[in-house]
Amino acid sequence: MIQRVAIKIDGMIIRAPKGTSVLDAALDYGICIPHLCRVPYLSDIGACRLCIVEHVVNGRSKITTSCTLLVKEDMVILSNTEEVRKLRRNIAELIVAEAPNSRAIQDVALRCGVKEVRYPFRNSDCILCGRCVSVCTGRFGVKAIGFVGRGNERRVETPFNMRSELCRDCGACIDVCPMAVVPCGGPMKTGEERLCGNCEPKMAFAEQTPGFCVWCDLGEGFQCERYAMGLRK
Amino acid sequence: MRKINTISDLEALREELQNFRKNFDTTLVLCGGTGCQASRSRELINRVKGEVTKQGLEKKVLVRATGCHGFCEQGPIVVVEPGNIFYCHVMPDDAQEIIAETVCNGEVIERLLYTDPVTGKTIQTESEIPFYRSQDRQLLAQNRQVDPCSIEDYIAIGGYSAISKTLAGMAPEAIIEEVKTAGLRGRGGGGFPTGRKWAECLEAPGDEKYVICNADEGDPGAYMDRSVLEGNPHLVLEGMMIGAWAVAAQQGYVYVRNEYPLAVEHIRVAVQQARELGLLGENILGTSFSFDVEIARGGGAFVCGESTALMASLEGKVGEPRPKDIHTVVDGLWHKPTVLNNVETWANIPSIVLNGSKWFASKGSKNSKGTKILALTGRIKNTGLVEVPMGTSLQTVIFDVGGGPTGKSIRAVQTGGPSGGCLPIDKFYLPLEFDALAEAGSMIGSGGIVVMDEETCMVDVAKYFLAFLQDESCGKCVPCRLGIDRMLEIITDITEGLGTPEQIDLLEDLANTVSETALCALGKTAANPVLSTLRYFPDEYDAHISQKKCPAGVCQALVTYSIDPEICTGCGICKRECPHEAISGKKKQPHKIDPQLCQKCGICKSECNFEAIQVK
Repeated sequence: MIQRVAIKIDGMIIRAPKGTSVLDAALDYGICIPHLCRVPYLSDIGACRLCIVEHVVNGRSKITTSCTLLVKEDMVILSNTEEVRKLRRNIAELIVAEAPNSRAIQDVALRCGVKEVRYPFRNSDCILCGRCVSVCTGRFGVKAIGFVGRGNERRVETPFNMRSELCRDCGACIDVCPMAVVPCGGPMKTGEERLCGNCEPKMAFAEQTPGFCVWCDLGEGFQCERYAMGLRK
Repeated sequence: MRKINTISDLEALREELQNFRKNFDTTLVLCGGTGCQASRSRELINRVKGEVTKQGLEKKVLVRATGCHGFCEQGPIVVVEPGNIFYCHVMPDDAQEIIAETVCNGEVIERLLYTDPVTGKTIQTESEIPFYRSQDRQLLAQNRQVDPCSIEDYIAIGGYSAISKTLAGMAPEAIIEEVKTAGLRGRGGGGFPTGRKWAECLEAPGDEKYVICNADEGDPGAYMDRSVLEGNPHLVLEGMMIGAWAVAAQQGYVYVRNEYPLAVEHIRVAVQQARELGLLGENILGTSFSFDVEIARGGGAFVCGESTALMASLEGKVGEPRPKDIHTVVDGLWHKPTVLNNVETWANIPSIVLNGSKWFASKGSKNSKGTKILALTGRIKNTGLVEVPMGTSLQTVIFDVGGGPTGKSIRAVQTGGPSGGCLPIDKFYLPLEFDALAEAGSMIGSGGIVVMDEETCMVDVAKYFLAFLQDESCGKCVPCRLGIDRMLEIITDITEGLGTPEQIDLLEDLANTVSETALCALGKTAANPVLSTLRYFPDEYDAHISQKKCPAGVCQALVTYSIDPEICTGCGICKRECPHEAISGKKKQPHKIDPQLCQKCGICKSECNFEAIQVK
C-alpha cells in the first residue's frame, strides 16, 4: 500500500504519496503552480525557479522551489502569496525577455502576471530550460545531448559537437521544447518584440484571478495534469 | 621510515626529533610560500643551503624552508632564530652576508631590516612590527615552525598529538560536543556551526561516510586557504582525521584547485608521509580507526567551491550545484552522508581538541569564536595575510594592521570577495564577525578584505564583481544566469552614462529577486555587491545617472581629461607619450588635450611628474 502524508497547500489539506514533490502533489490536486523545467516522472533539477513557494517552518517562511521539496507530514506551503507572485513575475519576466517568440513562454509569463518587460528583448533560440536534456538523459538514458559551457556560454550541445551514435532520432527533445511546442503567430522582428497579443482573452482572465491557471498552451502541449484530468473539455 | 603502531611510538618519535633539534645553535627560517617564491626565494633557499654546506655549518645551523609568513609584500622573508631577527626583501646575493654576519658573528644587517612606513625607523624583530603586533596568529604562526614537506617538523612541534588524544579516549560524541561548545563556525563563508554539521552527519543513517576538505578557493585576491594548505598541510590532515573519527568516516578528500601547484604538491607529500608513518591507512595508532585521504584537483571553476557543485565535480560530473532541500550531511558525495569543511575550519580542529573548547571560545565575539585569517589588500600600506580574533573591528584591521592609506584617504572596504559587499568608512566600527557584517549587507565570507580609497568608483566595483560572477555562474538556474546578466547590462549602461533613474529601482528589484530565488549560495549572494553599493553609495549612482559624472574619475565614458595650465610646466612628456597625438603645446608652455582625439587611456596621467592632468 502506498504510504500517504497530509500536507497543507494554501490552506487546502492534500494527501500525497510519500516521496513525491510538493509540485507534483499540488498538480495532482489541480493546484496550478507555474513551472517550466519540470518534465513529469523525471527527477527535478530546480533550474527555472518558477515553481517557488513559501515553505512555512516554525512560523518562518522560506522561499524554495516546490519541485525539489519532498512532501512531509504536516508541511505548510503557501503557493500564491504576494511575495511569491512578485518573485515569480520577476523570474518570468527574465525568461520572456529572452524568448518573446515562443508562445509557450509567453503563456508562462502571462500566467505569472508579467504585464511589461523592463529589459531589452533578446531573440534567443534556446532559453536553457533543460527539458530536452532531462528527457534524453532521464527518460531514455541516452545522453545524446547535454549542457556545455558555463554562465553566458552555456548551451545545449551534442558530445564534441558531433551527432551522438547513441541518438535514436526519437525526437523527444523536440517534443518537450517550449520553443517548439506551440510556435507563435510569426517570428517577431528585432525591435518589434512585445508580449503576445494572442493571449488577450487570457489576459483578461488572468487579471481577474491573479495567480491562477490560465489554461496555457504550454500545459496543453506538455500534458498538464489539469488538461489530463479533463477539467476542461 | 619506521611505522608508528601505537601512541607511545608516536611520543617516542616526537622526543627523539625534539632532542635532535636541540643540537642546532641557529635556525634560519626562510619563507618558501608562493608569494616569496615569486620574488626568487627558491633561489635564495638554495644559496643559503649551499653556503651553510660550504662553511661546514650543517651540524650547527638548521635551514628551514617554510610556508607563508603572511607579510608577502615584504618577501622574501628570512627569520634568524634565536633572536627572532626579521629580514625582508632578501635577495639571493644576500645569502653569504647573512651567514657570515648574522649566523657566525651575531651581527644584525641593518639594511635588510624592516622599515616602518609610518615612523621611518627600522625594526629588528618580528613581534615589534606593527603588522604582526596587532594580530593573534594561532594558525599562521605555526607556518614558520614547520617545513611543509617534513612530517618530522610537524611532529616535533606537537603535531598529531590531538589525534592521539582523540583515539586514546574521546568518543565521537565527546569530540562533537567539544567542537559545539567551542562555537567554531565554518570558515568558508557560510558560518554554519561545525559541531552541528558533524552531529547531523553522525546521526545520518549509512555505514559509508565521507569528509571533504574544501580548498577550492577562488575569490579574487584571497589566499588564506592556500597559505594554510601550503604551509602546514599536516595540520589540515590532522583536523580531517579528527573529523572523520567524530562522524565515523573512512575516506576523506581534499579538493584543491590546480592553480595552486605548491599546495597540491605539499598536501600530496603530506598524505604520502602520513601513510608511510601509518598515520593514515588501516588501524591508525593501533586502534580500530581506519582512514585515508585522496587528493582531487579542481579545474578552476569558482562555482566548484559550492559544496554540492564540489561534490558533483568529485564524482566526475559537471560542477553544477544541486538543490539542498536534503542537506549534504545526509545526502552528499555519492548520496552518502558527507561533512564538507573549509581548510581553515579543519585547521582549527586540532587546537580545539588539544586546548579545549574553553580556550577556543575565549577568543572572538559572542557568536563568532576563535580567530580568522584575512587576506588584506587594496590601498593600504601593509598588505598580506592577517589573523585576528573574530570581532576585531574593521578599523583595527585596516588602520592598525594595515597601516592606513597609501595616498588618498580611505572611503570604503569590500569584505567577503565577490559575494560580499562594500561598507563605507562610517561602518568601520563594525566587528569582523558573521552576524554583524551580514546585517550590514556584507559578509565575512572566506576573509578577503579589499580597501578602497577615493580613486575607486563604487559603481565600477559593483560592475567588476558582477562581470566576475557572470563569468563564473554555472548557468543552471534562471535568476543567476539571466539575473546577473541583466544586472550587469544595467550597471554597464549606468557607467556609460546611459542610465535612467528607473533603472535604479529595477536594479534593486532584480537584485532582491536573485538573492531570494537563486539555486545556490553563489547566486543568492551575487546581488550583494549591487545591493550594498546601492545602500551605502546612492549619491554615486545618482551622479552617474543625473549628472553623467563619475566622481572618482574611473568610468571612462563619463570623464574628460584636461591639463591644469597653472601646474603644467610644459615639459612635453605627456605630448611625447600620448599614443593618439591628442596633446599639443609648445615647450615650456602649458599643454592642451584635444577632447576629440583623446581616447582616455590615462597614459598622460601616469606619465606626468607634476600631477597636472585632471580627470573629471
